Amino acid sequence: MWHRGAVEPLDASDAPDAPVPPLRVAESVLREPAHRVSRRAVVMWTVQALVVVALLLAAQVVWWLVDDAPSRTPHWVVGVVWLAAGAAYAVAMPQWRYRVHRWEATPRAIYTQSGWLWQERRIAPLSRVQTVDLERGPVAQLLGLASVTITTASAAGPVTIHGLDAPVARELVDTLTAAAVTETGDAT
Amino acid sequence: MSEDGGGGWRRLDARMLLVHPLETLVRFLPALLAILVFRASSDGSDRWELYAVPLLVAFGVLRWVTTRYRIAEGQIELRRGLFTKQTTTARLDKVRTIDLTAQLHHRVLGLAKVEISTAGGQHDRLVLDSLSVDAGRRLRAELLHRVDPAVTGLPAPTGAPVAVDEVPGDAPVPADDELLVRLDPTWIRFAPLTVTGLASAVAIVGFVSQGFSRFSQERSVFRDGASWVSRAPWWVDVLLLLGVVSLLAVGAYVLTFWGFRLTRNRLGTLHTRRGLLTNRETSIDAARVRGLRLDEPLGLRLVGARRLKVVTSGLLREQGGSDWLCPPAPAGVVTPLALRIRPDEAAVSGPLTPHGPAARQRRLTRTVVPAALVAAGLVAARLLWDWHGSLLVLVPLLLVGAVALGQDRYRALGHAVTPDHLVSRHGSLDRQRVVLDRDGIIGWKVEQSFFQRRVGVATLVATTAAGHQHYDVVDVPVETAYAVLAQVSPDLLAEFA
Repeated sequence: MWHRGAVEPLDASDAPDAPVPPLRVAESVLREPAHRVSRRAVVMWTVQALVVVALLLAAQVVWWLVDDAPSRTPHWVVGVVWLAAGAAYAVAMPQWRYRVHRWEATPRAIYTQSGWLWQERRIAPLSRVQTVDLERGPVAQLLGLASVTITTASAAGPVTIHGLDAPVARELVDTLTAAAVTETGDAT
Repeated sequence: MSEDGGGGWRRLDARMLLVHPLETLVRFLPALLAILVFRASSDGSDRWELYAVPLLVAFGVLRWVTTRYRIAEGQIELRRGLFTKQTTTARLDKVRTIDLTAQLHHRVLGLAKVEISTAGGQHDRLVLDSLSVDAGRRLRAELLHRVDPAVTGLPAPTGAPVAVDEVPGDAPVPADDELLVRLDPTWIRFAPLTVTGLASAVAIVGFVSQGFSRFSQERSVFRDGASWVSRAPWWVDVLLLLGVVSLLAVGAYVLTFWGFRLTRNRLGTLHTRRGLLTNRETSIDAARVRGLRLDEPLGLRLVGARRLKVVTSGLLREQGGSDWLCPPAPAGVVTPLALRIRPDEAAVSGPLTPHGPAARQRRLTRTVVPAALVAAGLVAARLLWDWHGSLLVLVPLLLVGAVALGQDRYRALGHAVTPDHLVSRHGSLDRQRVVLDRDGIIGWKVEQSFFQRRVGVATLVATTAAGHQHYDVVDVPVETAYAVLAQVSPDLLAEFA
């Protein structure tokens, strides 16, 4: 039998961190989900951000090579602006995300919080869950992370938890699957 | 209905052999015309395009021979293909809606295309093209009503009998269907007032005017007409355009909704029937209906009209108006109709809770800022590039219009929770009030953008398997969002409170 709190975070860093300020959204009746994602998710998001920034800078290099104009000033201006924006993004976004991203599963429902500029909380009763997926991208595999996607009958309702420790993710999938199997009906 | 191939397999109607070559012909008509024109200018006598005809016929025969369907063991199976046999199955209790479509050539032959939807996606559809109208209706009765076909008053189908045990012995014949609404021809006056009507009219005008401009080189009638139009004062042109557009919108309305009729049978299945040339019948299983949507676009609102749609799983959104329960009609007709389908006065027509000053501020920001940018652009154009000064008249018009639109959009915002429904309304030009069954909600989202967090509002999203898959309560104060969530799904909230 699975009871509330069975999926305890394995990573010590998942314990509530004191310096992280609370979100405004938390000032309501609904408390925050109990668990943070893995601390290594910050690394994953940083790598993803760097890939985006690198692609933009590659465009910059192409422009440098193609442009025949003698003046290189516009290149430097645009390049510096992009570099500054990209660096800010790669530094701030992962930290911000890590402060926001949280999750919790009980025998009856799944509850997540995610995003950074746009934030959202999702709640889905397990009785309406149709599929549970575990995904591991290349970066996530290197870092020993995984993401879990829980789909309901609504096309608008998939709940995804990114950056979980792989063992935690696997345990979550097992418990969710077990809980979903006990429910009958077509979940619509 | 044709011969039984054993195992309860049935074939499409043999008359479909005529339909397919015809449809292919129509599809390739432009290409054929091009060939004919080309032929006229060349000396070749080789009629090679005629080789296509036997190919088309053979293809049709092949399709007829290889396509079979049956109802057995609580499933409907569709089998087709020669080399790659493809079998599609759907459990009967998953069937949500059934569409019978008869285009003009189908109607001449007494045929109808049957589309069976089992869920929201395209790949979850079974299409039988085509059955005879009677066979199609009988199949529909078998699938949706799951009754002994004998009570439908039609000859029994050749397929295996379906479950009869759940049907009461004294099942009345379909003649008892309750007529909910029938198109009143005077409602056609609402046609030019809807965006869809106008859009189709504009599309037709654009298409036709392009055709005209091609001919106008040679045909003096068109040339004279065109020069008359260009000489006439501008208001005559505007009136002319309005007249043509209205006429076309009316035409589109008549084509789509002529003979519209909504009935409900004793099992609660909703059944619509409509169309002047193309006949379309849609049946919606009552168990799949998750609510209603009352549309009040600006044009209709000004003349006190509404239209009604159903929120159900298994209908495709892009599927030209299958979800309409009532075409644009006076509110005095639509509201009682909605109440007959969802007898919840507070949800269908009751007052809604407004969303407060932050929501109003956001509505105004969103309309005034773009208008101000355009206005600034006009002023800049006047100053920098010396555009005509009369364009500056637009500046105050734009700003006043933007404020009015923002205010109206705020007035639309509202929500309510009744014992059975969650109600949400939003929009100005395209205002809609959604009455969603509380037990149709299968999850929640609370979304907040950066700016929403700053002013303490959120968008509460109820996800569902029906209709648009999600219905939003926009820019509601955060506390109210969670209060609504707590009221509708108390056990869910209790898990995390």
